[in-house]
Amino acid sequence: MHNLGRAALAAMMIVGAGTAKAQITTLVASPPRKNEPAQQAAAQQREKVAQDSVARVAMTGMKEWVDSASAALAIRPDTVPTTSDTAVGTPRAATSPAPKSDSSASGRTSERQPEFTDGARAPNTATPIAAIGLAGVVLILTGMAMKRRERTARVRVRG
Amino acid sequence: MMGGLPRHPLDARRAGSTAVIVCGALLLVGAATSVARGAIARDAARARWAEIEAGRAVAGAKLSAGGARWSEARGTPVARVVVPRLGLDEVVVEGVGNDELRAGPGHMIGSALPGDSGTSVISAHRDRHFHALGRIAMGDTVVTESARGTVVWRVSRIRVVNADDPALDVRTTPTLMLTTCWPIRYLGPAPDRLIVEAVPK
Repeated sequence: MHNLGRAALAAMMIVGAGTAKAQITTLVASPPRKNEPAQQAAAQQREKVAQDSVARVAMTGMKEWVDSASAALAIRPDTVPTTSDTAVGTPRAATSPAPKSDSSASGRTSERQPEFTDGARAPNTATPIAAIGLAGVVLILTGMAMKRRERTARVRVRG
Repeated sequence: MMGGLPRHPLDARRAGSTAVIVCGALLLVGAATSVARGAIARDAARARWAEIEAGRAVAGAKLSAGGARWSEARGTPVARVVVPRLGLDEVVVEGVGNDELRAGPGHMIGSALPGDSGTSVISAHRDRHFHALGRIAMGDTVVTESARGTVVWRVSRIRVVNADDPALDVRTTPTLMLTTCWPIRYLGPAPDRLIVEAVPK
């Protein structure tokens, strides 16, 4: 009798557990409602707008920064820059065409060239080559003198 | 066993002297490389100028009528300047940037071509192409050749100005201005500029 009762209790627990599991599953993973995609899309849209606003502000700042840097460095792009909605104004250096160059000049970096105008300064013709060469000679002579001293000291140590 | 000088200071001294010699050698190699590149560029400019002289008619067609602003690619030979008394004979390239001045005297962009009306500015390094310019004197003869033809000039004014002074001015008459750094013999960036002005004879 006891065995039968235990078997019945076990069967009830198994069945009850299965039912309870099904109920819990229903509560936890309920099927998506029909209007949820729309809500998600709206939320995503709001998030995207917010991100776009942030990105727009950031890109505008970057554009101004790049423009100022390019104007300061006189960078002349070879291609016409694409316009963007964040462009406040096109810098003068970007609109000016790239300087005409031959094959020998194609590999050169854009270099600001002084142009002749009334009251212009004489071009900078200073060159550090002589100073560099002299510095090299001085360093070599100094190094040789140091080596000679070191050898002399070694001979004294051995002696 | 441990008598005399310790071994470590000698090793350090040997390493230090080697490093100093290597640094000096690197500086020398860098300077020599720059000079060699200049020589190669100078030869290339001379060869190109010879080609241009051979096809002078074609080069002349590039000139705009009425002595308007000269326009040519940077680095292109545009003229030749000769000072017979000093033995100076150089091919002038367009532009006064580092690359152009390495190849030879540079014709300042925007200035007139020698032979045109207006100021023609030609600049070069004092320790290379215009080294002899330090010995120029009033009345010396300067000869220029360009697509405008050959012009014989007479040195009419020699002056030394500060590097920051507005020394170049627009003239309506043909004027040749040869500029370089001053003093000619000076270690490091020279503070002044030598400006030699010449007018057609």
